[in-house]
Amino acid sequence: MAGPETTHQQWLKQIGAELDGELSLMERAALAKHLATCSRCAGARASQLEVRVALARSAGDPHAFVVPRPSIRAGTLTLWVIVALATGMLGGWLANRRWGGPGSGAPLEDTRGTIVVQ
Amino acid sequence: MGLSSFSSLLLALASFQGPGTRLTYRVRVIEPASVEPRVLASGAVSGPLDNEMRLTLRTDSAEVEALFHLTPFGDTVSLGAEFYTRRRVGRSRRGLPLWEEDTYRRLVRLAWSDTARIYPFGQNRREGSAFVELILERRFAGGEGRSAERFDLVDSTRDLRVEAVVRPRRARVILNLVRGDTVSGPRPIDLVLDEPPRVVQLVLRGRATTLLVSVARPSEARSPRDRALALDADVLCLRVAPPPAADAPQPFGTVCGRLNNVARQLPLPTGDTLAATFAWPGAR
Repeated sequence: MAGPETTHQQWLKQIGAELDGELSLMERAALAKHLATCSRCAGARASQLEVRVALARSAGDPHAFVVPRPSIRAGTLTLWVIVALATGMLGGWLANRRWGGPGSGAPLEDTRGTIVVQ
Repeated sequence: MGLSSFSSLLLALASFQGPGTRLTYRVRVIEPASVEPRVLASGAVSGPLDNEMRLTLRTDSAEVEALFHLTPFGDTVSLGAEFYTRRRVGRSRRGLPLWEEDTYRRLVRLAWSDTARIYPFGQNRREGSAFVELILERRFAGGEGRSAERFDLVDSTRDLRVEAVVRPRRARVILNLVRGDTVSGPRPIDLVLDEPPRVVQLVLRGRATTLLVSVARPSEARSPRDRALALDADVLCLRVAPPPAADAPQPFGTVCGRLNNVARQLPLPTGDTLAATFAWPGAR
């Protein structure tokens, strides 16, 4: 059985969906009816709207109808992939030059057997 | 070469070949501890002066094999060792272990009464790494006896081994001629290494076949490990040739094998097959 808090959480999800334009007319009507009687949900809707306005403003489009999604252009993505690969290869090459391949970094002679006369 | 160094060399050779001198490598594998060192294993390898000793130590991450040999010089002795070491350095991308292999030599001069300490993993390795204590002894025996080895492993969780390595100077070879399901009578012959070839006559179905046979060491070890550790020390090659009078300029061939009583076969141009069985010669 759903309690009042659970019901409230569901209404908050409905508010998010409505602001994203994902609700049907019937669902929007039910939400409007609820908001008329629930000041808490009405306040939450106003807060969400303010957040979205701030996001749209920071994206450079304060008059947008929905929050603009960040986009990465294909050229930029390719450039960064190439930079990351080149950095990894250069780092590996430098590490191999500095410390060699797998195994102990100790000098070879230190790991070899020795005979000491007493 | 100066006269004094030449005479010392002769003296060394004389003492090296002295009859009846028996050499003993006395070995203790010791793990150092803060209170009292712990003996993990002890043993001895004895035999003629040209006897060698092979020491093997294995851990999860390293394998050390060493072949010890010595050259006496009067009251001192040169102890040489050929080391073959494998160290585990990690895993491959497919999860298989990666090992690095290393071959090197060590040579020290010591008096007969001295003790040599062998640090198989290096002297500067972490504390608690086992070392080997080696004492060389020589005594005069009535005759040149066979090599002997004794090894007591106190800590059975360790993988340690000491073996005598003997390079044969003679070999007993048993020859048979085989054709189909007919075999000639066995013809045993004692051969000395690098001696002039000997004439052997084998009779099969009433027909005599004369051969010239001699034994020699194999020319080249199969791998660096075999060469360093003398793993093929008991391998000999039998050279078979036609008698000088025969009109066959080419030797019939060479067959190599260990002195382990296993027959090796060599096809002859006559259509017969020569079966040669190598064995250690009887004690003298």
